[in-house]
Amino acid sequence: MSWETVIGLEVHVQLKTRSKMFCGCSTAFGDPPNTNVCPVCLGLPGALPVPNAEAIRLATRAAIALGAAVHPASVFARKNYFYPDLPKGYQITQFDQPLSTGGEVVFDSPERGRIACSITRLHVEEDAGKSLHDRYPGKTAIDLNRAGVPLAEIVSGADLRSPAEARSYLTALKQILMYAGVSDCSMEKGSLRVDANLSVRRPGAEQLGTKTEIKNMNSFANVERALEAERLRQVALLDSGGRVDQVTLLFNAATGQVRPSRSKEESHDYRYFPDPDLPPLVLASRWIDEQGAALPELPEARRGRLIAMYGLSTYHAQELTLERSVADYFESVVGAGADPKAAAGWVLGDVMAGYNADGHFAVGPEQLAELIGAIGDGTVSHQAAKQVFVALKGDVTMTSPRALAVTLGLVQVQDSTALERWVDEVLAAFPSEVLRFRGGETKLLGFFVGQVMRRSGGKADPKGVQPVLQAKLGNQD
Amino acid sequence: MNAVATIANAVGSGRTSAASAAREVTRLLADADARGLNATLHWSATQVAREAEEVDGRIRAGAADLPLAGVPVALKDNIVTTEAPTTCGSRILERYVSPFEATVVTRLRAAGALIAAKTNLDEFAMGSSTEHSAFGRVRHPMDPDLVPGGSSGGSAALVAAGVVPAALGSETGGSVRQPASFCGIVGVKPTYGRVSRYGLVAFGSSLDCISVFGRSVDDAARVLAVISGLDSHDATTVDAPLPPAAAEARPLAGLRIGLPREYLPDDLHPGVRAGVDRAIARLRALGAIVVPVSLPHTAYAVPTYYVLAPAEAASNLARYDGARYGSRKTGTAGDLRGLYRATRGQGFGPEVRRRILVGTYVLSAGYYDAYYRKAQQVRNLLAADFSRAFREDRVDLLLTPTTPTPAFRAGEKTADPVAMYLADIFVCGASLAGLPAMSLPAGRSDGLPVGVQLIAPAFGETRMLQAAAALEAVLRGDEEVR
Amino acid sequence: MSIGSKDVLHVAALAELDVPASELQALVEQLGRIVDYVAQLNAVPAGEQAAPFLAGPHAAPLREDEIRPAPLARGPDAIAPEFRDGLFLVPRLGAMEDE
Repeated sequence: MSWETVIGLEVHVQLKTRSKMFCGCSTAFGDPPNTNVCPVCLGLPGALPVPNAEAIRLATRAAIALGAAVHPASVFARKNYFYPDLPKGYQITQFDQPLSTGGEVVFDSPERGRIACSITRLHVEEDAGKSLHDRYPGKTAIDLNRAGVPLAEIVSGADLRSPAEARSYLTALKQILMYAGVSDCSMEKGSLRVDANLSVRRPGAEQLGTKTEIKNMNSFANVERALEAERLRQVALLDSGGRVDQVTLLFNAATGQVRPSRSKEESHDYRYFPDPDLPPLVLASRWIDEQGAALPELPEARRGRLIAMYGLSTYHAQELTLERSVADYFESVVGAGADPKAAAGWVLGDVMAGYNADGHFAVGPEQLAELIGAIGDGTVSHQAAKQVFVALKGDVTMTSPRALAVTLGLVQVQDSTALERWVDEVLAAFPSEVLRFRGGETKLLGFFVGQVMRRSGGKADPKGVQPVLQAKLGNQD
Repeated sequence: MNAVATIANAVGSGRTSAASAAREVTRLLADADARGLNATLHWSATQVAREAEEVDGRIRAGAADLPLAGVPVALKDNIVTTEAPTTCGSRILERYVSPFEATVVTRLRAAGALIAAKTNLDEFAMGSSTEHSAFGRVRHPMDPDLVPGGSSGGSAALVAAGVVPAALGSETGGSVRQPASFCGIVGVKPTYGRVSRYGLVAFGSSLDCISVFGRSVDDAARVLAVISGLDSHDATTVDAPLPPAAAEARPLAGLRIGLPREYLPDDLHPGVRAGVDRAIARLRALGAIVVPVSLPHTAYAVPTYYVLAPAEAASNLARYDGARYGSRKTGTAGDLRGLYRATRGQGFGPEVRRRILVGTYVLSAGYYDAYYRKAQQVRNLLAADFSRAFREDRVDLLLTPTTPTPAFRAGEKTADPVAMYLADIFVCGASLAGLPAMSLPAGRSDGLPVGVQLIAPAFGETRMLQAAAALEAVLRGDEEVR
Repeated sequence: MSIGSKDVLHVAALAELDVPASELQALVEQLGRIVDYVAQLNAVPAGEQAAPFLAGPHAAPLREDEIRPAPLARGPDAIAPEFRDGLFLVPRLGAMEDE
């Protein structure tokens, strides 16, 4: 008998603000410990929180980008628990009246094709500090620089049916949040974190099985691994007549296994209540509408438009929209007059090869468009264009690619005297290949073309080279 | 010690100096300590002198508008200052010196006031007698066997003893009005949101109000005017500073005063009742119209308070865990949980522990709806009672006794927490409704002060203070009422 | 009596408060008295949907996103019971370790 897996995800993303959620301390990552702290985020007696407008704006943007309803009034609540990196003994979050509810993420499931995963809620809250357990023997060390950093928590419905699907959802969600410009979504820097709930049940069963919560997953790949490990654990338990207990589990990336957390059940009675230090968060509906209007085109819509407007393949559209800046760059190149399909090839090839390393585009979109144009009108060969592109990357003067091609001597040569000279030199250099060609190995033609191109330093027009070669190779003397 | 206006005028005009006011208050503080009032927790002659020197310097440099020039003001020791410890009357903060200053302190200093002393209080402001301080109980200035009321008993005792003309206390459920009544002075609680709580150590955040004691209405009003107004550090403040001349007596003719019948039970202490009767008679004589009104949910004010305040307190006091500041006690297990439990178990006194436990209980799984949510709903009904009286009965102010009895004996109510809570039966309502209210002396019963309470609509302090000033002029608070 | 020693120990654990065995019985009685006293609220007809009371302003003011920390007159090292290399130190977490 088979089992159906049911997964829901809770994703925390750090909202891209300069200052913390409830105080004026910097959110900078990597500063010396306990230097970005003040009475509020240290939880000193008498300190009070005041919410950050930008955090609210970004969370609202995120909610609208996910198609959620943003509520005109929401309430900050206290989640009470003791932990040394939680300075006040409670976290300010939202509970029964969150900033927004509803919404969905549409994405391609590896198993089920195009599906939508519902979003239950999105709320704003403050982060805790950082506990370092391994620095001093017998001690836990606390850094409160992170304490009070603004987060949005995005809770999905239990709509995901496999670990791989959970990973695809996360990829799509991250893409939307990056497009909306609300978060860096970097798991390494801790600006995106994932907790998961997983249960299994018989296919067709209406009731959900007992779920477990899985934490401590530090990459999307590890989310998938952890969920797979937990899925197998639950199935094995049930198949052997056992029972799943509702527990919190921690993933160990080194072993690929999950193990139960040692926290006690009683610590999960969080005693939520409205934070009396903070009046309700009231947002004017006009302001909410403005945030929606200010959103950029989101990945899903943009993919559709790239296919419809430029006749791109689904694959190219997919790849170009992975990051908003790449899609923007592509459209700028096309806007500067480049052929869209050629531009897609260039952007996904030579442009991205350099982009991933340093995060910015070394060649301006107008330059690339001009270069693509120069290939189109035969001024430079594709191979020469690649050399021009490399030269453009190192050039800060924003030289015209056509001018640079001239300077580098890469303008395509169609002059037959020059072509014939290069062909003659190549044939002279490879006498045995000439014999083999003449003996019927006609596929060697490509080899000769390549050698001519190399000899010409990329300047020869390959379309002109072929007839010359064929003529000379056909000539038996 | 002279009145606030007298000192401020004399110092501001250069007729005398802040330094001389500092010397006088230092002498009076030493006397009060010598008498064993136990009203102060920290004060330093050097520090007051330093502050006075600074004020005198500003005046010499031409600072003209210092409404509290050279006026010594005492602070309840749950208001943070950077020079002296802020202990909240608790072992858990015994040596804690705040790295930041409360907004009210900054405002007092800007107005030229001298921070004279930090005063004793019930631990974390939880109590009605100032017997629950880790540093010993405060004595009533008129009889050391009596309590001065609480939780702001130290501030009340210092003002009543004439050491300072005014002092700050804090109210969560009557902790300024009740001791003001017991000590025969004026105590004013502003509208919730009028005065910044930034730097007031939180007890019940939705109720906490920094409040003012004065020997006269004018003393209290002048200090209140300085500390009120919007503060960008406190999201619950409102942009409503109090005008400086709030306490100018105005004719009372035509003013409608409501007398809530629930505040005058048959078993009310006869002296207290006599005080109220005298106030009614004086008000009528001045042309005010006194009408009976009803606040039907009054009986539920104390139980509502004792759900909400402990719930908020349990959360507010979670930060005292020995990890980042304050006292630390290591448990026998040597682990973190042991440290938490030992630090908190030994650092908090019995009343604070009780309230943390009650507050945790009413918020815990399965009880939230029955206690916390219910209390919030009843709180709304209590507030609606007041609105109805002000709107439908068209009364401008309410008049009630401040306390059911005059000051009681030390130890009298410590055995039964609920009996102690009932000492606040007349003051809890206005706190829960967030309304401004004040106590002023109405006379003496067997030599002990009794107070009457005025309650005004939200942000109606000016009218309340004006009426109080007019009433004060004719009440003769130091006379026997019977 | 609405509260037993089990309830008191449960909330004491939630509140991280030591309750010495010698004080338990007295606490059970005091808390029971308080809880019984406040339970009279259940008799108040408030309506299921009655709104909770809100003190103070009806909308939270929002702060501009500027780096402007409130200054500290003395650093964390001056107030911390144990502080080393810029870090607050506490004993190892024991049972709370892996959260």
